[in-house]
Amino acid sequence: MGESPAAFTGPKNDDARVAAMGETTPEADPRKLAEEARDRVRFEEEALDLADQVYRVARRLVSTREEAEDLMQETYSRAFRAWRSFQPGTNLRAWLLRILTNLNIDRGRKQQRSPDLQPLEEGDYYLYNRLEEAGREPNVEQERVDERLSQEDVVAALSAVPHDFRDVVVLVDIGDFSYADAAQILEIPIGTVMSRLHRGRRILKRELADEAVGSA
Amino acid sequence: MEVDPCEKCEELLQPYLDRELSDAERAEAELHLDTCSYCRKRYRFEEELRRFVRQAAAEEMAPELKLKLSQLRTSLF
Repeated sequence: MGESPAAFTGPKNDDARVAAMGETTPEADPRKLAEEARDRVRFEEEALDLADQVYRVARRLVSTREEAEDLMQETYSRAFRAWRSFQPGTNLRAWLLRILTNLNIDRGRKQQRSPDLQPLEEGDYYLYNRLEEAGREPNVEQERVDERLSQEDVVAALSAVPHDFRDVVVLVDIGDFSYADAAQILEIPIGTVMSRLHRGRRILKRELADEAVGSA
Repeated sequence: MEVDPCEKCEELLQPYLDRELSDAERAEAELHLDTCSYCRKRYRFEEELRRFVRQAAAEEMAPELKLKLSQLRTSLF
């Protein structure tokens, strides 16, 4: 979790407000205008430098490359308009991902959500035990998990994790965000991040086991 | 009733790797791991699995998209 604490203030997901912020102009003082232009350029460059990292998370929050690309364009368009609401010195990557996750949820994702409230009996050793039972005991001495699981297995298993859990798993395990950052990005309590992460990883391992050795 | 030490160790797996355990809990997990190859193998596997998932899930952004994002920048003039 290499990020600094996310004391950032993400923009509210409100087009009118964001657009209004983007249209605000400083006083017509040439020096202030020049400072403003410089700050804006710096913001845009820093945001673009983070695009690869933001995309890596975005790609696993949605199902297709096209969706991820649309989401990225909409996020950056909004971020460039609302750049003044970013507090310099706070976590820009988290700020961008807060815009992105809000947009993703707004895109009707709520309709397809169904909270996974089924009891989950599998523990954290589940995947290892399933591989072992199938006679495919992972050879951890050689650290060759890739001999047991393929990249496709991982992609398929991740996409089978319900959204609310997947969001947290992707932010923490792929985006390398701290629990605190994930909580701010998703606007949920840190305790919820921890419980969703715990459950999400267990669901992921169940899915990986099914991919690797078939359904139990 | 006495809790099975391997069950307890399994419960500590995720917060252990996330470095979210207290010093006392961490020491408890490590003491058990020192003597239990069953749990040790599973901890190593989990660590490696996380690395593998991160690597396998990574997909690079297309250069065309990067160009499109640059073009969204506000014109200064």
